[in-house]
Amino acid sequence: MNIQLIFRLIGSILMIEGAAMTPSLLVSLYFGDGDAMAFVYTMLLLFAIGLPLWLLAKPRDTNLRAREGFLVVPLAWILLSFFGALPFMFSGMIPNFFDALFEAVSGFTTTGASIMTNVMNQPRGMMFWRSFTHWVGGMGVLVLTLAILPKMSGRTSHLVRAESPGPTLSKILPRMGDTAKVLYLIYGVLTAIMLGVLMLCGMNFYDASIHAMGTAGTGGFSNYAASIGAFNSPVIEWVVTAFMVLFGVNFALFYKLLRGDWRDVKNNEELRWFLCIFIGATLLIALIILPDYEGNFFTSLRYSAFQIATIVSTTGYSTADFNLWPIAARMLIFLLLFFGSCAGSTAGGMKICRIGMLCKQGLREVRRVFQPRKVQTVRFEGKAVDEAILHQVAVFACVYVILIILGAVLLSFNGLYDFETNFTAAVTCVSNVGPGLGAVGPAGSFAGYSAFSKIICCVLMLAGRLEIFPILALFHPAIWRK
Amino acid sequence: MRILIVGDGKVGHTLAKSLTDEGHDVVIIDRDEDVLQHCEDTLDVLCIRGNGANAKTLIEADVAAADIVISATASDETNMLCCLVAKRLGARYTIARIRDPEYNESLTLLQRELGIDLTINPERATAMEISRLLRFPFASNIEPFAKGHVEMVEFRAQEKDSIIDWPLKQLAAHLPGIPRVLYAAVERDGEVFIPNGDFIIRAGDRVHVTGDMVTITNYFRFLGRDSLRVKKVMLLGGSRISYYLAKMIVPMGIHVSMIEIDPQKAAELSEALPHVDVILGDGTDQELLEQEALTDMDAFVCLCNRDEENLITGLYAARQGVPKVIVKNNRVFYEEILSDLGLDSMVSPKEITCDTILRYVRARVNGGGTAVERLYRLVDGKAEALEFIAREGDPYIGIPLKDLQMRRNVLVAVIVRGNKVIVPFGNNHIEAGDHVVIMASESGISDLNEVIHR
Repeated sequence: MNIQLIFRLIGSILMIEGAAMTPSLLVSLYFGDGDAMAFVYTMLLLFAIGLPLWLLAKPRDTNLRAREGFLVVPLAWILLSFFGALPFMFSGMIPNFFDALFEAVSGFTTTGASIMTNVMNQPRGMMFWRSFTHWVGGMGVLVLTLAILPKMSGRTSHLVRAESPGPTLSKILPRMGDTAKVLYLIYGVLTAIMLGVLMLCGMNFYDASIHAMGTAGTGGFSNYAASIGAFNSPVIEWVVTAFMVLFGVNFALFYKLLRGDWRDVKNNEELRWFLCIFIGATLLIALIILPDYEGNFFTSLRYSAFQIATIVSTTGYSTADFNLWPIAARMLIFLLLFFGSCAGSTAGGMKICRIGMLCKQGLREVRRVFQPRKVQTVRFEGKAVDEAILHQVAVFACVYVILIILGAVLLSFNGLYDFETNFTAAVTCVSNVGPGLGAVGPAGSFAGYSAFSKIICCVLMLAGRLEIFPILALFHPAIWRK
Repeated sequence: MRILIVGDGKVGHTLAKSLTDEGHDVVIIDRDEDVLQHCEDTLDVLCIRGNGANAKTLIEADVAAADIVISATASDETNMLCCLVAKRLGARYTIARIRDPEYNESLTLLQRELGIDLTINPERATAMEISRLLRFPFASNIEPFAKGHVEMVEFRAQEKDSIIDWPLKQLAAHLPGIPRVLYAAVERDGEVFIPNGDFIIRAGDRVHVTGDMVTITNYFRFLGRDSLRVKKVMLLGGSRISYYLAKMIVPMGIHVSMIEIDPQKAAELSEALPHVDVILGDGTDQELLEQEALTDMDAFVCLCNRDEENLITGLYAARQGVPKVIVKNNRVFYEEILSDLGLDSMVSPKEITCDTILRYVRARVNGGGTAVERLYRLVDGKAEALEFIAREGDPYIGIPLKDLQMRRNVLVAVIVRGNKVIVPFGNNHIEAGDHVVIMASESGISDLNEVIHR
């Protein structure tokens, strides 16, 4: 194992986190809510640890192999969350360590679940940092490292593979560094556009930036107790709905669009599945909840579309408490909690392309029952899918569900809450959505859970964000062996 | 530059690695998922699965934006078709590996009609290299520069050589009459040194010297190494290289015997090569080798398809006292071990192909720059010898070398002006139109101006 290279990478990531606190520091200096020093202390600490690691580690071999890649990524995420939690503690906004850690993990993994019962009138720099973690965590911290730093290693594919969502690694340019730059550029421009549109709709710059970052990373932290609902503006709701769906789309497609490959985008199978699921579920739920909104279809469509967009894009904003909706609507939402959006987007969940491949694989097995000699290939995006990938997808789905059930069991040791709450809390953590049903619904929070349960939630959220295997690999003894 | 490589075989992979290291954007097309997976894991390139001769795959790889398309699949026909389609779709330059001797005869026509800018025949190029080694058996490697005016010759310094254990600057005083060659590079324990005047050559070093052919010949005569003349050669294996080699060296008056295990192939070879003794049998069989008088041979060349057989049989021949043993070996990393065992002359079709293509690519890197005329890589690319033509108006023209700033670990090895070969000292200068050969222990130099400043 190449410890020197791991140290060097970790060192650079810590320094990048330190640098990433600069905007939040500026915000807190501007508003003067007295939380600026918390950032300064954390930044000094990050540089005091990161710089020596980076300078002293002298890797002789800069080739990053699978083992180092799958070790660095989860370790980096754990350290990021740990140091990301410190400003919350130092400023006294969240004094308890486990609470602060939960909040940071939830931020970086773009879950958006919170233990804060009161988000109003908090230090504004802190709230900005809380949402900024969404933005960085959405596209990925190692991707950011690759985009910013000059080439550190000849083999970076393992880093990105462990961090970027989806069954296969999709590069859009020959070089990983260039790919990372283009991705972050598209990401930044889209976020800026959203910020501008929100301001045109009447939000002030601070609120607009918090919600633009929360939407772009598909996170869901808001600085209002009623989330987007607080603005009580259909225009803002539709704008956020549209952008939530947009950030659930594979970023490679935006690049293709920029290059004028309209046909590729139109024929993208995953995008079609994604839009069909979104539109279908929206219409269905709009009909189910019609009686709750006095038969006004446009109102029910508005609430349905927003809630479904927030669930499938795994964002977690809300404009309505779907806990109060009919059971059919709640069950549909429960199902959608698993799905997530397209591979290569900032969203969590199992990813639509995996769901698509699973369905096709299932159909194949059904056909095999009555036509056993037919040679069948599963096709996705018009291409035959390799059996190894199909196998991987099937195993991923199993492990995903097993992890959720195990998580729910461990959460229930708490002794609090009912089946619905514990189970959907596990699902929403692994899928990085944010709200679940019951006590952890859009109007509730995770504040009631014990420290142990919060740790479990953190593990589930990290596992969900990194698509499980990198986190599980940390628990395998062989990865630590020399 | 954006470079498309079709076929991720031995050559494709080595090229992809070198080209990404030099800062080019590389896209690889192959049909095999496993190969691509390995490639994606080890190299920073974009991998696309598909048939490289299929226009759809090429469009997916954005061939229109590609500066160079290199087709190195196993099949000549695929390579030609790929280049044809790529050129039509807008690729600027195309390179194809074409190895079938049958196409060799109509190569110029094919090249013109299909719009292929460079064709490489690895076997033929390897055969040419071997024939050079057979002409000058005292060297373990020979590389021509400046259209053959200058050669870089590699040999192993031995205990009895008079040049060892003296600093290079004292050699002339210590050994009066030693012909003046330039010591361009020395390999020791897998490392490459570009020697200065204080450098001391030790026994066992692999020394690279440059100079014109007459001087080099005199130099080796001075060292007492010129006694050997190759008149009888035994070739192990009737591969394509053997075929090309026999065609080249038979007219030079060298007697060739060729051992081939496959009866049908042996019959074909004997038909095609009337002056060659084709022997049907297993070349790894010691009995057979002795029966065919291995010990009487001046040189033994191992050209089987399997590298391992080549190495073992080559070692055996060296042990039997054959003065010159040349072995085909595509796995460069064995080279050090084998050189310790006494196998100095190693040829690798893969390396030769890669060098040819890299040279072509570098020559097109910066259209305005000084084009690389010839490139030769030592020890798996740890050092390079490069030939440039100095251009009118470059800042280093006409200034004595001692007054120029030279990048570290770079050495001007030879200047060729017209037919005159100059082994440069501080007072010499470069003129426009000169062929300049430099040695560098780093990779990726594509312009003389990069390394020489005022």
